[in-house]
Amino acid sequence: MEIKGSHKDFIFWAVLFIVFGSLPLTGSSSYHLMLASHVLLWGLFAVAFNMLWGVTGMLSFGQALYFGVGGYSVGLMIKYLGGAWFVAGLGLGMVAAAILSIAIGLLIIRVSGVFFTVLTLAFGQLVWQITFRWYEFTGGDDGIQGIIPSGILSNKIAYYYITLVVVIASIWLLRRLSRSPMGVLLRCVRQNPSRVSFVGQSVRFAQLRIYVISSVFSALAGSLMAGIDNSIHTDMLYWTTSGEVILMSVLGGIGQFFGPFIGAGVFIVIQDIVGAKTEYWPLIIGLVMMVIVLLFPRGLVGEFQALKSRLQSLIADHRG
Amino acid sequence: MVSGLTLATLLFLVASGLTLIFGVGNVFNFAHGSFYMLGAYFAYQTIAACRTNFWIAVLAAGLGAGIIGMLAEFLFLRRIYGRSEEGGFQILLTYSFILVIDDLVKIIWGTEYKTIMRPEGLKGSVELLGLTLPTYNLAIIGIGFLLVVVAWFTLSRTRPGRIARATALDREIMMAMGINVPLTMTLVFGTATMLGGFAGALAAPLRSVTPGAGIEVIIDSLIVVVIGGMGNFWGAWFGALILGEVIAFAVVLVPEWASVISYVVMVLTLIFKPEGLFAPRSVRKV
Amino acid sequence: MRKQNVFGILIVSVLVFVLAPFAQAQEKIVKIGSLFPMTGRPGLYGLDSVDAAEMAVEEINAKGGVAGYKLEFINSDSKAKPDYAIRIAKRYIDEDKVHFLFGVVSSAVGLALTEVSKQNKKIFIGTDHASTQLTVDKFQPYYFRVSNNTFQSMAAGALYLKELAEKKPWSTIAYVGPDYAYGHDQWNELKYNLDRFGVKYKIVGEYWPKLFAPDYTPFITSILKDKPDILISGLWGGDSVAFIKQATPYGLFEKVLFCSPDAGGNYEVMSATGSELPLGLVLSARHHNNWPDTAANKEYVQKFFKRTGRFPTYAAEGAYTGILAIAQAIEKVGNPDDTEALVKAMEGMKIKLPEDPDDFTSYIDPETHQIVQVQAVGVTVPNDQFPPAKRMLGEWKIYKAEDLLPPKEYIEMKRKK
Repeated sequence: MEIKGSHKDFIFWAVLFIVFGSLPLTGSSSYHLMLASHVLLWGLFAVAFNMLWGVTGMLSFGQALYFGVGGYSVGLMIKYLGGAWFVAGLGLGMVAAAILSIAIGLLIIRVSGVFFTVLTLAFGQLVWQITFRWYEFTGGDDGIQGIIPSGILSNKIAYYYITLVVVIASIWLLRRLSRSPMGVLLRCVRQNPSRVSFVGQSVRFAQLRIYVISSVFSALAGSLMAGIDNSIHTDMLYWTTSGEVILMSVLGGIGQFFGPFIGAGVFIVIQDIVGAKTEYWPLIIGLVMMVIVLLFPRGLVGEFQALKSRLQSLIADHRG
Repeated sequence: MVSGLTLATLLFLVASGLTLIFGVGNVFNFAHGSFYMLGAYFAYQTIAACRTNFWIAVLAAGLGAGIIGMLAEFLFLRRIYGRSEEGGFQILLTYSFILVIDDLVKIIWGTEYKTIMRPEGLKGSVELLGLTLPTYNLAIIGIGFLLVVVAWFTLSRTRPGRIARATALDREIMMAMGINVPLTMTLVFGTATMLGGFAGALAAPLRSVTPGAGIEVIIDSLIVVVIGGMGNFWGAWFGALILGEVIAFAVVLVPEWASVISYVVMVLTLIFKPEGLFAPRSVRKV
Repeated sequence: MRKQNVFGILIVSVLVFVLAPFAQAQEKIVKIGSLFPMTGRPGLYGLDSVDAAEMAVEEINAKGGVAGYKLEFINSDSKAKPDYAIRIAKRYIDEDKVHFLFGVVSSAVGLALTEVSKQNKKIFIGTDHASTQLTVDKFQPYYFRVSNNTFQSMAAGALYLKELAEKKPWSTIAYVGPDYAYGHDQWNELKYNLDRFGVKYKIVGEYWPKLFAPDYTPFITSILKDKPDILISGLWGGDSVAFIKQATPYGLFEKVLFCSPDAGGNYEVMSATGSELPLGLVLSARHHNNWPDTAANKEYVQKFFKRTGRFPTYAAEGAYTGILAIAQAIEKVGNPDDTEALVKAMEGMKIKLPEDPDDFTSYIDPETHQIVQVQAVGVTVPNDQFPPAKRMLGEWKIYKAEDLLPPKEYIEMKRKK
């Protein structure tokens, strides 16, 4: 559990800011900017997702629903009303995600464990199927292209920096939440729900709150993604997208707050590198996942931390 | 009305293994659809390599899927029993099985569509009460019904069935009672994947054998299991029946939205009876 | 700090991997960056396309290349996912410095990539996806499609139905297609073309199974109840196979004339149904292995078979055409970096293809950048020259390329939206 260690945090923020912030200044190509943006947004999505699983113990296989709602709010607004409505679309996406997550949350937080997971999957697919089929309005399988915000946001570099700032701010907010009393409560809910209600706290209410918060930030990631790719597609809502964010989180380590972000970065970079060489990416990532789940369940970051503590205690033993 | 039966049976066949492993074994096998796909490919390969008749190929398909399932359980799934977050890691592990199996199938059999013909004697149709009923469809409807009867009987009336159910509920007590729990889990998992393999082989003559089938089929079987109640074979059968009929009617009445209807039914079930329409126990939390 | 070390290592490795290609010697190479799906159901089309494109590249390089340049073909799995494909396309443009973008199968990916092509002024050769939008409403000057779109297939289908009405009058029609954009587009375009050619028809049913539906029984019984004279199908690949297999015992194909003009006659349908494919179905596809019966087509098909051990689906010929088109354009212009000249060269370019009958040469329409080709519609007849298929198409009706193009009013109407 990570409650203390705020100077560790500071280093993470600094690295993030410096590395990502300097990319446009070092003459990076638009491919590198896109890669970095994808890492930032998937990273935010993964951190938001992990608030549900790693922190609260709720495995949702349907966060793609909110990610897609964010993307489609922006996409539909721009398609039908024009580029000036980008920010409005972004706001609408977050509001829609909040409303949907409250409605769905009330329905599904009645059950727990694997049942909960299946239900999140089901709702995600319902929304996907509607969007896929309603192609007269949403473009269906063709998606929507030409999503270009107007004004200063139409400049790729400006958009990139705004994305960076929004992502950092969002992850910072989630970090604060995770270390607040509410965060402690959520961890207790994960570890022992009956004890929590025994001391008079409402388990359900805590879970609903974090579900809504996680979903709203997922939508934010999706909205910003629409502006990076300048297009959206129903795949954003499909369950395999939910699966990808879960893979990223596990790869980085669900027990660490920043683990999912690192996992997202590693996943995306490796996907591009491996994808260029072979068509068997699913096999490779499947095997990597099996290795992680079976042998390194703490993920990259978690295992590094464990290794570090072992080394430290070895050194301490040696000295003492 | 009758037209929904074939779909209902196909849905039930593929959901049966999932409801067994999930409801009885308490393991969520996300890769269940992949074993369905393996069954179809094994059946194809058996026919292609040995020119056997269809039913032997179906048996081979089930056995093959069962063996692979048992290997997967023994080598991999077993290592995460008893871990904290077991449910979550199980889902993840079986999700990675989907990725691995799908690509292995592509490597071994390639991407072209394979085909299995209907068995001799079941290629035509019969006229009954003014309706045309393809004989192969009738055969698998019959097999589906037989399966639900056999499964229900085995689970509730025979000793192995009761042991399987009890082991799922409390492994430690069963171990204390001298039951070989690891073996039981492996056998239950293998039976479930075997059912998946049978389903894939039986459905194959009605479709083409294509890669990616694992991902296509898992969502539909999940819906059936959710509607019918996890672990309940009769529930799964009725759930599939309801779903099949609803879709059949939707096709006629609201053709524009028939593709969404199965999700709507599932959502309605969840609102009014989240443990499933026929579930024996409540899964509501504290 | 461990975390920042991991990060640092990541950034460094990315940079190293990405800069490495620049260490190579500078040869005269034309780089073609292609994206095709290599997994799932469309994987077959992707694989065929890559095989055919590589075959074409080898043939051309063996003859010394074009204008002193060798062709280099790199492919990535698009996974049929637009957001991933966009990133790969960007990498192709920024890192690999490709001269051409090439591919895809999924219209969604095609639509996303045409934006990248437009923004980066990189020619995108579209080889298989069907959406008419790419040459009409979403047209941009750097996009060229080298196989027909659904409008052309449906126009051919409409003409076939018109001729049929004159010989064997029919009046009612129904449509079954997958419930997504591709399925709806085909039906809308068929109706438009039937109206355009003045064909009288009455719609008695529309059926929309979901994509990859496992069971078509309720649709089959509805069709039998509605009794259309003609059933148009927009199903493709495995769905087409499943529908045909499931409908046969109902005697559907004896009661109703089945017509699938865009993808129904694709080779994988025939190879997957074998002798279970009924005779007398009216099908077409964007390329046929057994038509035209020219030396060029036979040679193309045989070379593909020798190389891969199987006969091609029509996706392959689209990719083959794409490479030929690139080569011909570079031959004319002499410089693969002069994008504007290449665009001009390709507009109106005539290019002789395996699918051209002796008296016709395909050409690229300057207005829409769409290749203009003859379409052949046939009927399933017994033929075991292309195993494992036991049926191929025959009794061909040929339709002139110019008759199939969307008329000016259609283009203007769509582009105005």
